[in-house]
Amino acid sequence: MNWTSFNQSAKRAWTVMTWKLILVAALVFVLVLGQMGARAQLGLDPCCAIISAGLNTISGLLKNVVAKPLGQIQQIQQQAANFQQQVIYPTSAINSARGLAGQMQGQLRQMTQVFRLPTASATLPTPQQLEQALLSRNPQAVGQVSQGYAKVYGTVVAPADAPQPIRDLVDMTDAEAQAALKKALELDALADVELAAADQINQQIQTAAPGSAPILEAQASAWLVRANAYTQSAMAELIRVRSIDLANSGAQLKFSATDVNNLRNNTGQVLGRGAQ
Amino acid sequence: MTNRFFKKTTLALGAIFLLTLMPVAANAGVADIISLLTTITSTLQNGVGQVLSEIQSINTTVRNFEQQVVWPVTLINQTRAEVSQMRALFSSLASQIQSIPTNSATLVNPSQLEQLLRSQRAGSLNQINASYTQVYQALPPANQATVMQRNLIDVDDAFALGALKTATVSDQASQQMLTVADGLEQQAAQSAPGSASILTAQAQAANLQNQAMLQKLLAAELRQEAARLAHANALRKQSADANRDLRNNMQQILSR
Repeated sequence: MNWTSFNQSAKRAWTVMTWKLILVAALVFVLVLGQMGARAQLGLDPCCAIISAGLNTISGLLKNVVAKPLGQIQQIQQQAANFQQQVIYPTSAINSARGLAGQMQGQLRQMTQVFRLPTASATLPTPQQLEQALLSRNPQAVGQVSQGYAKVYGTVVAPADAPQPIRDLVDMTDAEAQAALKKALELDALADVELAAADQINQQIQTAAPGSAPILEAQASAWLVRANAYTQSAMAELIRVRSIDLANSGAQLKFSATDVNNLRNNTGQVLGRGAQ
Repeated sequence: MTNRFFKKTTLALGAIFLLTLMPVAANAGVADIISLLTTITSTLQNGVGQVLSEIQSINTTVRNFEQQVVWPVTLINQTRAEVSQMRALFSSLASQIQSIPTNSATLVNPSQLEQLLRSQRAGSLNQINASYTQVYQALPPANQATVMQRNLIDVDDAFALGALKTATVSDQASQQMLTVADGLEQQAAQSAPGSASILTAQAQAANLQNQAMLQKLLAAELRQEAARLAHANALRKQSADANRDLRNNMQQILSR
């Protein structure tokens, strides 16, 4: 009885345990495999259908909403690029303009050289000395002008040799004539500086791009404004020279009138004495 | 009996466990995906599509503005043609006017000098001195004039000759400058809006050079005017000196 009942109890326990093990194994199988890949493998999961529909919608949107406008944008950009390269900034026209700058520089340098040909013509030593200073194009030679001028045209008349108004007139005339000669010397030197600046700008134009050319244009314009100002200053000097010349003519008439008046008074006095 | 009950209980618990756990995980994944797909779709439609459409519209407007308003090809071509026409019409006319001879001397020596002065060739500068002397005479020898007079005559001649030579040089430079201007105009007729700025810069540089040359001429004119003034003043000084000498001589005569 004991052995038999023990044996039966053991069999029952084994059966229960076997069932439990099978159940646990089944659960583990379902939990593990079911969670990992069952749906994907079967392809029937509603989740896959949703993803598929969603991806199709996205693909359609990418095609119509993104790719189509992008394609049109690309086309517009391409057209704009072609327009800029063929109509606005054609390389051939740019190179041609640069080439002209090179040709022009040769001509302009030739002109500069022509203006450097000697024009000195005095033959006597004293005028030669003055002329050399005046045509030197060296602003430092301005100091030599007065000395050379005095040697050729003389100095102010001594007080004993002329009345004060005449001496004033002579001094003023000398002053203006010398100032004009000095201004001419300065102007020659300034013109040389401007020619050098123009040459340098020309050199830069030969490698300029359409974007950098306006900068050079602005620079050349600034130099031109400066040159105009120098010309204006020289014109003012020219007007002064001519004004002094005119003033001298007027003064000459005034002196003559005074002289005639003095002569009349003196004659009157002489005749008066004679009558007495 | 107990065993069967135990089996049933275990199966029921297992089924509840599966039913409870599995659907919860599945429902959460689908909702997230739907939400994500909706967000992406909405972003593509509103965020990307709309902006791209606006960019496309802006690009089209800019392109049309550039091609129809700023740089219309027809107008560019028309302007080029006009430049060519103007060049043909006015530059040749100006050239014809400029080439009208102004020589007016009738005698041999003046004609020769005039020809040299209007030659527009700097190479003839050396011949001007001799021709000038033939017309205006040479400097009087030392025994025929005072030092002061000879200096005055020499410096007057020098300033006159200097100015005449500068004028001849300037004529040649003017001709070259006209060639440069013509080249620029010719190039302008073939230029594009983008290359025109290079030509403008060149024209400005040439303009500067022209101004410098004008200043050289002006300097010569200033010297000439100054010399005229100085000459008249020198005569006043000579006159004062002559008066002084006369006074001194008279006093000497009267004192005898």
